[in-house]
Amino acid sequence: MNREEYLARLRKALSSLPASEVTDICGDFEEHFAIGLSQDKTEHEISAELGDPESVAGSYLGDAGESVSTEDAVRAAANCAGNNGGASSANTAAQEKDLTGPRLFVILFNVLVMIWVAFTWVTTLFCLWGVTLAFLAAGIGLLLGLVAVSGIGISLLLLFGIGSLLLAIGSGILNFFITKWSVIGTKAYIKWNIKVYNKGF
Amino acid sequence: MNVQFKKGVLDLCVLSMLKGSDQYGYELANTLSELIQISDGTVYPILRKLATDGMVTTYLQESTSGPPRKYYRLTGLGTKTLAVLLQEWLAFSSSVTKIVGGEEQ
Repeated sequence: MNREEYLARLRKALSSLPASEVTDICGDFEEHFAIGLSQDKTEHEISAELGDPESVAGSYLGDAGESVSTEDAVRAAANCAGNNGGASSANTAAQEKDLTGPRLFVILFNVLVMIWVAFTWVTTLFCLWGVTLAFLAAGIGLLLGLVAVSGIGISLLLLFGIGSLLLAIGSGILNFFITKWSVIGTKAYIKWNIKVYNKGF
Repeated sequence: MNVQFKKGVLDLCVLSMLKGSDQYGYELANTLSELIQISDGTVYPILRKLATDGMVTTYLQESTSGPPRKYYRLTGLGTKTLAVLLQEWLAFSSSVTKIVGGEEQ
């Protein structure tokens, strides 16, 4: 097929596009022919190398699927670069959630409610550990008292002393777990706060 | 070579070839068709799409032999897109190689 035939078939296959675009595209191919001819190729060779004009035209008319990868990459590149061009900044704004509500909630909830809950709970924990310490001190005190008394007093002191120590150990174990769970709960609560603050509910 | 393989990477190839220096369509078409056996005509629709997407700009330059040539130059967006596509391609091709090559890594 010679140059004229090739361009005619191409033009015909592109006829659904605006005329100016068709002229533009055909210009590229005319240039290709001209350069090829200047390098001593024949029109037929060049036509053959270019490939079927109808399938070339098909690429201009666009399979939607083909362009997807580039568009994704364009978007990624634009986002990467913090490109502030109209369309892409509108895109980014739409993707970003409004976090004012969640942030305000986190701050107010903590200041108005959680601070008192935390205060009460910490105080309670101190009291519980205080009880344990009191039993421990009492137990030790009573057992030390053994050296000073004799008779029936010994068995009573021994009984109360050991009882107090057992209570100290028991309440100590209980307090240990209560404290541990409190720490775990506090960590989870802080994590949740950070999540809400940064990403909303 | 499988046509489907080529389709996805032609944008990447064209952008890469423009990275070093501006080139005109014939040149790009010739190199590409030699290296990965595509028909010359495939390149022009790609170039046009890249221009529409703002990846490349074009300008005409006189030539000592033959007609003025339309040169293609990579834009800033084109350069960034090239980097993204290249990254994707490298990750993708190494994964595919891993899959088809079995234990070879």
